Amino acid sequence: MYSNADSKVAVKVDRLYKSFGNLKVLREITTEIHKGEVIAIIGPSGCGKSTFLRCLNLLEIPTSGKIYIDGVDITLPKADIMKIRQKVGMVFQHFHLFPHMTVLQNVIYAPVKVKQVAKEEARLKGLELLEKVGLSDKAEVYPSKLSGGQKQRVAIARCLAMEPDILLMDEPTSALDPEMVKEVLDVMKALTKTGITMAIVTHEMGFAREVAHRILFLDGGKVAEDVPPQEFFSNPKCDRAKQFLEKML
Amino acid sequence: MKRLKLKSMLVAAIAIAFCLIAIASYAQANKTLTLATSPDYPPYEFKDTAVSGNEIIGFDIDIAKYITKKLGYELKVIGMDFNGLIPALQAGRADFVMAGMTPTAERKKNVNFSDLYYEAQNTIVANKGSNLTKAEDLAGKKVGVQLGSIQQEAVKKMAGVQLAPLNRIPDIIQEIKSNRLAAGVIEDTVATGYAAANPDLEFNTIPNTEASGSAIAFGKGSRLVPEFNRVLQQMKASGQIKELANKWFSRPIPQEPAQGTQPAAASKFGLDFGKILPSLPYILSGIWVTLTFTLLSAFLGFLWGIVLSLFKISSIKPLFWFATAYTSIFRGTPLILQLTLVYFATPQLTGYNISALQAGVITFFLNSGAYISETIRAGIQAVDKGQKEAAESLGVPYKLMMGDIILPQALKNILPALVNESIALLKDSALVSVIGVEDLLRRATIVGAEKYIYFEPLIFVGAIYYLMVLSLTWGANVLERRLQSSS
Repeated sequence: MYSNADSKVAVKVDRLYKSFGNLKVLREITTEIHKGEVIAIIGPSGCGKSTFLRCLNLLEIPTSGKIYIDGVDITLPKADIMKIRQKVGMVFQHFHLFPHMTVLQNVIYAPVKVKQVAKEEARLKGLELLEKVGLSDKAEVYPSKLSGGQKQRVAIARCLAMEPDILLMDEPTSALDPEMVKEVLDVMKALTKTGITMAIVTHEMGFAREVAHRILFLDGGKVAEDVPPQEFFSNPKCDRAKQFLEKML
Repeated sequence: MKRLKLKSMLVAAIAIAFCLIAIASYAQANKTLTLATSPDYPPYEFKDTAVSGNEIIGFDIDIAKYITKKLGYELKVIGMDFNGLIPALQAGRADFVMAGMTPTAERKKNVNFSDLYYEAQNTIVANKGSNLTKAEDLAGKKVGVQLGSIQQEAVKKMAGVQLAPLNRIPDIIQEIKSNRLAAGVIEDTVATGYAAANPDLEFNTIPNTEASGSAIAFGKGSRLVPEFNRVLQQMKASGQIKELANKWFSRPIPQEPAQGTQPAAASKFGLDFGKILPSLPYILSGIWVTLTFTLLSAFLGFLWGIVLSLFKISSIKPLFWFATAYTSIFRGTPLILQLTLVYFATPQLTGYNISALQAGVITFFLNSGAYISETIRAGIQAVDKGQKEAAESLGVPYKLMMGDIILPQALKNILPALVNESIALLKDSALVSVIGVEDLLRRATIVGAEKYIYFEPLIFVGAIYYLMVLSLTWGANVLERRLQSSS
């Protein structure tokens, strides 16, 4: 059940394949994410970025290959998916807040119900997190009253409330109006300094260049480049990456 | 919190169900004989809803009381549709049947009969001036009889008559008045009452072609037959039967406006709600029966619907198959058929003497569960898939996710559909009257039979149903608005 990898590795992906019917989305992805590392996953649309991310907390079940989280093989049938997911938080493009709960209820629901944290303790922690994302005044408001940027910040707080070791973010700013992108990116930037392991699928090249330790460039379901951002943005090796950057920058 | 509430609601529902069962089985004392009858046949058996309330009274009942008392039994009388009487004996639901029933060869195949206790003659009922007075006159005419009655057999033997079997005598009278039937053939003792109440009809007794008296019916092989016969003999010898016949068959009929004070046309179409006034408390207490029945069925059906809908979206194939087949069957067969099967087959299959109300609630909740499960399934699938993924990514287990996140959103969306289902249930609840549950409709028909009127009680309870549906709709609107404003 345990890989022989050292304790510095947070996520290890070994020859990961994923197909939907006849459509092969991921073709042999092998990579590692170290603890405290922030990686930005970029690539043209349809390259499998989101699918790759969603495999990491088993929202998509890999067709074949192995994924180790903290050395534990999560693709084994007997793996405790629920336990693993508590350690791997996810932020979605479309937030997916629970509309029938207030902001604070959204944040403390999982800690109280899943982790059995005492309600008062969870409430204080929740308010603290809301303050961190700049929304302490919205605690008692329902999500429908929030702007997109505010919703995404609540979603991040909800995720952090479970104190995950790894944070997956699936295009967290793609559904936002341009003027709201910054407030979410600011929160994300602050997060990268806390030492949490992060894997972010994004189209924000400036952000990726500034905060990521590594860029994972996917193309056709494969890792086309896996390099530090400086290298990727100044001197992309493959043609596909060059074309992509020309269009994006 | 919410989970706790749901659990306690479930516990309450189960407790209620058990209470119902317990109450029913408690009534099964050993020394009690159950008489099944069809209380819409005055003066044999009927309810004087204004005077004796819910109690079934009449000629047959008095005889039954006398005999059971003589033999040292307690008597329990239950009312149901005439057609259900023999099945009730066969199912062991009743010990004997007295319903002015004539021992025909056909019936004798299924039940045992006592000696005749009363002999009656058949009477032709027709509109005044129709000149249908003799059996021969009926040739080529459409003639109404009570379904399964001895008159049906008698008329069947008349040459060239078009037979129209109806469920109840009041229906026959009404069909004659509205000219859909040329005539009806009913028993003379029964006809007396209708003759007094319907001056626009004429009644002509026809001579008996064969013995057509009433006897007591028992289940096949019942040991009660000789005992009952012995007492009947004594009653005949002592003149007791004649006395009771005099008491009931010459009974004054609920008062009519004196003949001639009103033109015939007016009395034919005019409605007189005053007639049901004395029976008002009896009819109105049917609201409670109908409401209890509807709410209990709706509540249990709702819980069952949730379970079925979860089966339907389950990845466990047998559960999916079960729920799909279940829904298909319950939606694909008539509700009234399911109701009759549950009521009459349960005692034979399980030995448990299910009461009409229990059978009704069980059938209705099983049936409405099938419909509701489809609604809930659609509601669940209409909830954004991201909600499930968000919950899963937080490590929320399936049960909590369904109970706290998916179902609350689904139910809010389908609330209008659920209200519609409850309204349908409220109206369909009138179907239970066929197995003898005294709901609003049943009470209306009983009062109608007793007062020899037809439309007034029906229109009256129709208005009550309508008001109940209106208030249900109004309540749902308030609830919906409140839910909407909460988010």
